[in-house]
Amino acid sequence: MRIVADSFSEFILGRQAEMGRDKRLFACSTCLNPEKTRISRTNTFAMYKKLALAIAFSPRMEALIAEARKLIQIFEGELVLIHVGTKTPELETQLDEILSRHCGDLERIKTIWKEGKPAKTILKTCEEEKVDLLVLGALKKEGLLTYYVGSVARKVIRKATCSVLTMIEPKIETTHFSKVVINGTELEITPRVIARGLKFCKAEQSTQVHILNEIKMYGFKMATAAEGNEAEVANTRRKLVQEEIDYVQGILDSLEPTDLKINIKVTAGKWAVELVRFCESIESDLLIMGVEQGFSFIDRIFPHDIEDVLIELPCNLLIVK
Amino acid sequence: MEKLTHNEVVMLLLQLATMLFLARVFAEIARKFKQPAVVGEILAGILIGPTILGTFFPEGFEFLFRSYPMSNIALAGYSQVAVVLLLFIAGLEVDLNLVFSQGKRALNISFYGLVIPFAFGFTAPFFFAEFFGFSEGDKLLFSLFMGTAMAISALPVIVRTLMDLNLFKSRMGMMIVSAAMVDDIIGWMIFSVILSFMGKEAGGIGIGYTILLTVGFTAFMVTVGKSLINRVLPWINKRLAWPGGLISLSLAACFFAAAFTEFIGLHAIFGAFVIGIAIGDSEHMTERAKEIIHQFVNNIFAPVFFVAIGLKVNFIANFDPWLVLVVILVAYAGKVIGCGFGALQGKLDKYEALAIGFGMNARGAMEIILGLIALENGLITEKLFVALVVMALVTSMTSGPLMRWAMNKRKEGLE
Repeated sequence: MRIVADSFSEFILGRQAEMGRDKRLFACSTCLNPEKTRISRTNTFAMYKKLALAIAFSPRMEALIAEARKLIQIFEGELVLIHVGTKTPELETQLDEILSRHCGDLERIKTIWKEGKPAKTILKTCEEEKVDLLVLGALKKEGLLTYYVGSVARKVIRKATCSVLTMIEPKIETTHFSKVVINGTELEITPRVIARGLKFCKAEQSTQVHILNEIKMYGFKMATAAEGNEAEVANTRRKLVQEEIDYVQGILDSLEPTDLKINIKVTAGKWAVELVRFCESIESDLLIMGVEQGFSFIDRIFPHDIEDVLIELPCNLLIVK
Repeated sequence: MEKLTHNEVVMLLLQLATMLFLARVFAEIARKFKQPAVVGEILAGILIGPTILGTFFPEGFEFLFRSYPMSNIALAGYSQVAVVLLLFIAGLEVDLNLVFSQGKRALNISFYGLVIPFAFGFTAPFFFAEFFGFSEGDKLLFSLFMGTAMAISALPVIVRTLMDLNLFKSRMGMMIVSAAMVDDIIGWMIFSVILSFMGKEAGGIGIGYTILLTVGFTAFMVTVGKSLINRVLPWINKRLAWPGGLISLSLAACFFAAAFTEFIGLHAIFGAFVIGIAIGDSEHMTERAKEIIHQFVNNIFAPVFFVAIGLKVNFIANFDPWLVLVVILVAYAGKVIGCGFGALQGKLDKYEALAIGFGMNARGAMEIILGLIALENGLITEKLFVALVVMALVTSMTSGPLMRWAMNKRKEGLE
């Protein structure tokens, strides 16, 4: 695990002094009163009615099925299994065995066997079946070749019209996503990511939710602000941090109350990189973020935003669409 | 090793002290009027240079800046280091991440904001070369330089204005910043090509080769160079003293890249700028380290460099009011029409487009650096240099108020 990155400890110098916290820790900029925090109350557990799992008969398949089973239980939805490849009696028997172990009690379960290009076929099937959440397994770290050529998970995450949950360490003995990090960086999709993310956390009974927002070009801003006197500079520093907290707080205020424990944190540096560092440092179970549309090969040569996360997944990843 | 004599050392230190002191005094006065420090620093130079001190107290000026040539050479070395460092921090400011995440609209603004001012700047001197003080040499090169001078922008002034107007985080603010970054990268690339041709007519390297070198070096640095930097920086951060290790080694890299580009026939500042982009784009170059480098350059090197501008030229004797006026008009027309048109193409409204044009219009320190290098290479006359400096100051000083005006107009329109 990486130790707390300095860009974290640097981000709120003024704030740290005020709060008297350990400088090596991230300042917990604001700990919200649970009663005051809101999320949507209606249909909390019905946000994902139809769940699909992409299976590839890998050693992790059983664990993935167990994880999907857990989600079905939470969301009270139905399960669709998608396998891209030839259907053989052996594979069918193997799958039936696993399903009987984990999903014996499930009534609504459907297995789809299709042949074709994996990513394309999975995406098409999800659309045909009107899937709300697609679950798939992914490697923590992609090889250099896979990185430039593109993996199935990466294509699916980019192009899926439904939400995607990518699991790097599925377990047969499933656990809840206890420590969750949500991307609160100011983007068009962020209000939706926070709203959906908190709903998911509530369903998952997460114990701690961190929402991370960033100060863009912090060093440069502070350098230009340095034309003010000492008090003005300190004030600018405070203002920069406060603006980012207010942004997230504004979104939270527009949502229904929840009893989740939520922290808003502010970072400086590239947001995607900081998200990864933060997830690693607190050993989070799940990272929730949105994804922007439009993506080309150029984005991989000059990785930014979500590409920075996909290079090395710090934990399980939920992409909200 | 050669060394300065006792008196030369005293004089050098005296020069530095005077320049830093007056730069600060005038920067503070500029601050009182909510103007960028560079405005004050240039004024300080004009005060102690041939323009005022040299005219009214020639003995004082002679004593301070003419009595010991060796001290002046040492001072010129300091200024040379300063300009390399200024371009290095200009590179650090470029956030490729931001540029790529802004999409098409920002590209529209940067494209038109570059091409139209460039066309204006190119056309006017090409057809009225004598008016712009062109006498001999390559007219095409001269016109290309003027095009570049009109296309470049000053990111620090833009960022400061956007922060003051509370617009930095807005969609418009982000677009302006990323468009300015793109224009700067391309502007410095063009300038680098122009520079490598100056004074090298006979047996010089071919234009295709120079462009290839410039583009190749940039492409190499932002891909392979950047990934190397990304591997080395974590090691530096972890093993060496922080931020000392990071700062001294990134500056070493900066000087090395500057030396390298100078060696292969491009200008030193181009290497500093490009390695600045590569280092600044690494996630391991922390924001705090960037802030320290900025402060260190902005307050120790930059003031001396900008004061030295005033020492080189007599601003009153070389002040040609018509030339100054035309340069300013071409500058405004190019950027406001270009960026405004780009913004309108991106479906922004009329006042937003105007505000973007005014914002991008700030030329600031970058224009002055560009002008000085052209002057030193004999590409432009002192009169044109003075006009460019005045234009840089006027566009920087008016950028904020004009943008505020446009945004207020927009607000009134919406109400």
